[in-house]
Amino acid sequence: MYRVMLIDDEESARKLMRASINWEELNMEVVGEAASGIEAINVIDDMKPDIAFVDISMPFMNGIEFTELATKRYPNLIIIIMTAIDQFEYARKCVSLPVFEYMLKPIVRAEVNATLAAVKAKLDEKQVKPEEHTESENAEKIEASTIDQIKMYIEANYTDSKLNLTSVAQHFGFSASYLSRKFKQETGKNFVEYLTECRMNAAMKLAQANVKMFKASDEVGIPDPNYFGRCFKKYAGVSYSEYVALKNLKD
Amino acid sequence: MNITNINERVKNSNIKNSLSFKLSMVFIGIAGILIVSSMIFIFIIVSKERKEYAEREAENVLISLSTSIRSDIDNYRNVSRLIAYESRVKDFLKATSRDVMQTLKLSEAARLGTLEYLNITNGVDSVFIFRNDLQYMTTHISRQDYHFDLNRMAEDDWLEPLLELKGRASLSLNGNGAIFRGDGKTVLTINRAVYDNVSQKQTGYLFMNISIGFLEDEISQLKNDDICVLTTDGVYLTGNAELAHYYEGVEIPEDIIHKEIEDEENKMILSAMKLQRLPITLLYAIKEEKRLLPMELLYIILLLPMVYFICVFLAGLFIRKNITSPVFALTNEINKNTSGDSLVKIEREFPKNEIGMIKDTYNNMVEHTNELWEKLLENEQTIQKSQMRVLQEQIKPHFLYNSLETIGYLAVDAGAEKVHSALETLGSFYRNFLSKGDREIPLKREITITKDYLSLQKLRYGDIINDEYDIAEDTEECIIPKLILQPLVENSIYHGIRMKGEKGTIKISSRLVDGDLHIIVRDTGVGMSEDQIEKVLSSEQIDTDKGDGLGGSFGLWGTIERIRCYCDKDDVVKIQSEPGEYTEIEIIINMKAKNWRMMNVQSNADR
Repeated sequence: MYRVMLIDDEESARKLMRASINWEELNMEVVGEAASGIEAINVIDDMKPDIAFVDISMPFMNGIEFTELATKRYPNLIIIIMTAIDQFEYARKCVSLPVFEYMLKPIVRAEVNATLAAVKAKLDEKQVKPEEHTESENAEKIEASTIDQIKMYIEANYTDSKLNLTSVAQHFGFSASYLSRKFKQETGKNFVEYLTECRMNAAMKLAQANVKMFKASDEVGIPDPNYFGRCFKKYAGVSYSEYVALKNLKD
Repeated sequence: MNITNINERVKNSNIKNSLSFKLSMVFIGIAGILIVSSMIFIFIIVSKERKEYAEREAENVLISLSTSIRSDIDNYRNVSRLIAYESRVKDFLKATSRDVMQTLKLSEAARLGTLEYLNITNGVDSVFIFRNDLQYMTTHISRQDYHFDLNRMAEDDWLEPLLELKGRASLSLNGNGAIFRGDGKTVLTINRAVYDNVSQKQTGYLFMNISIGFLEDEISQLKNDDICVLTTDGVYLTGNAELAHYYEGVEIPEDIIHKEIEDEENKMILSAMKLQRLPITLLYAIKEEKRLLPMELLYIILLLPMVYFICVFLAGLFIRKNITSPVFALTNEINKNTSGDSLVKIEREFPKNEIGMIKDTYNNMVEHTNELWEKLLENEQTIQKSQMRVLQEQIKPHFLYNSLETIGYLAVDAGAEKVHSALETLGSFYRNFLSKGDREIPLKREITITKDYLSLQKLRYGDIINDEYDIAEDTEECIIPKLILQPLVENSIYHGIRMKGEKGTIKISSRLVDGDLHIIVRDTGVGMSEDQIEKVLSSEQIDTDKGDGLGGSFGLWGTIERIRCYCDKDDVVKIQSEPGEYTEIEIIINMKAKNWRMMNVQSNADR
């Protein structure tokens, strides 16, 4: 099963995509969605998609910026750009990006199916080739001190909205999956959990200082306030505004 | 007609009106007037000058001639006086009549004495010395006989004037009518009464006859044929006898007179001079053909037209260099602007005079025009842009598509698969229908638009429409103007099949024949009458408000016009129909002729 990720700020568009395509027939499954480029960067390491549908017009980080980042970090990822006709010219300017296909919105099932069939053929061909997954184990053993260094690195850089597991792994010269595993072993926490924890702790402090949410979200490195809001609620149990209200009540 | 043709024509028609032509005409005119007027002027001066010049020359000749004649005659007078007082002549005269008659010695001695003088004097014909008793002695040099008219000599009017002179010599012709030369030729006679220098008594008379040969000598020395010597009475003496005719015994003052004479033979100025105290008149003729002009006058005569000519030439050169040539150059420069998109300033240098002012003014005008043009263009673009923006605002495709997808999801969620399909088709249709920018698209995409359109129409009208496609593979990528097929299909539905009220088929086919793309839309509708076909195919502007008998087929007419415009020819659409059976519309677009268009579009897109 190939893993598909849908990145589109329109929920209905994601849902339609999910519902109107017969994924199983294509030996594919939709493993996750993201409503912005920011969210996608944060969750992509968990989802490990083979294919990503990327809408161009998204707030905070648009599809082009995301694609630029993703093609560097995930060279094997197949990216299909989705665009409405009024942004097609803009998308064409980015034709140098190694994307698999540009597709026009609104989607037509026949077109999507045809494109996915081509993607599947390409992926199948790759899998036939001998596996080259020998890298990670040979890599330098990660010691506890290295994990400390990584922790420090995260604490120093969490405000960078583009930071994620893969970028850190690339920075330190490890494979992402190996780092992820080691990180969990050493710290008992997921990498993403740890990064989010850092950001949320910072956000709580900002909340205590009565900083508005959209400002706080930008300052802690999640400039998409919608995604930030979800993260905060998940972490703190209450929404950011509730948290601020509670804190004010205590005072 | 293109611009160069117009220019050519204008040039031809303007040659006669051109400044240079007119100027050359004016110069030729001025030169002509100058030359003619100077000719007249010169003629007047010359004829006057020639006359004066001739008169002066005649005076010179006559005076010099008269002077030498007078000096000759003075000479003869002196000789005659010497003879009169020669001792032997005196003896002859003093002797008594008897002595003279008895002996010839006295007269012989006197002859010898006379001869001594005559031998050293030229031109004397003979000398007669009369005694008062009329006995005489003759001395002949020539062999001519002489006769005397003694009666004449006895007359008072012959003798008295001689005596009145008291021994001084006078000149007469033929001894004042008393002496005749044997050959009848006139002789000049120096007459004098001879007096005894002691007793102061008149002792006799002396006649010295001089042949007119000396006059001939004088004239021949002048080497001039146009001199005539006459007696005061008009008797011809010597020289050009012709001239004697013109002397009519006119009273000639003792001065020179000039007279212009013109008859069928001669045209001349005749000058006459009467010698003072001598019975001789001189005539001198300067004939027309021999009249001369003073050299300075000749120079002036030649110089004047030359100066005129040079002046005119220089003026012409000046005007040509400073006016006509710059005007031509300026015109050429300005003409360069008859082609090209924007006007170009004249870079070439012109003298800083009126021509330069024209150039500067023109350049300012060009600048201004270009500014206006740019402003106009800018305005036009701004208007277009704002219009585009208004259109886009109205359409808002992004919103439309997102809405379609949202509704689509709702349909899927509610299990309304048909609704989802319909929305999908609508989305696809609008996506292609509204596609920005490209006015020309591949046939494949036009077919997709048409298919989507038809499937949406089928939803509306149920099963009355059946569509079939026969698209040749090699036509799929042919570039055609956007939205030419859909209006034809629309026409087929509304004016064909729906009018018939029964199920109909629309068949779309395409094929490529000799570089021509044929697109055929055939429907089994009510068909079209000849009249309708003619109206739809007419390229006349149709009043859109009325539809003008097209029965609402305005969309079809407009589409045909669009194809004609795109292909740049009229013969691009064929319509065949059988009323009640079918209508077949065939579009023919030449692909080769349109290749450059594709390339243009390509290069525009690249920019």
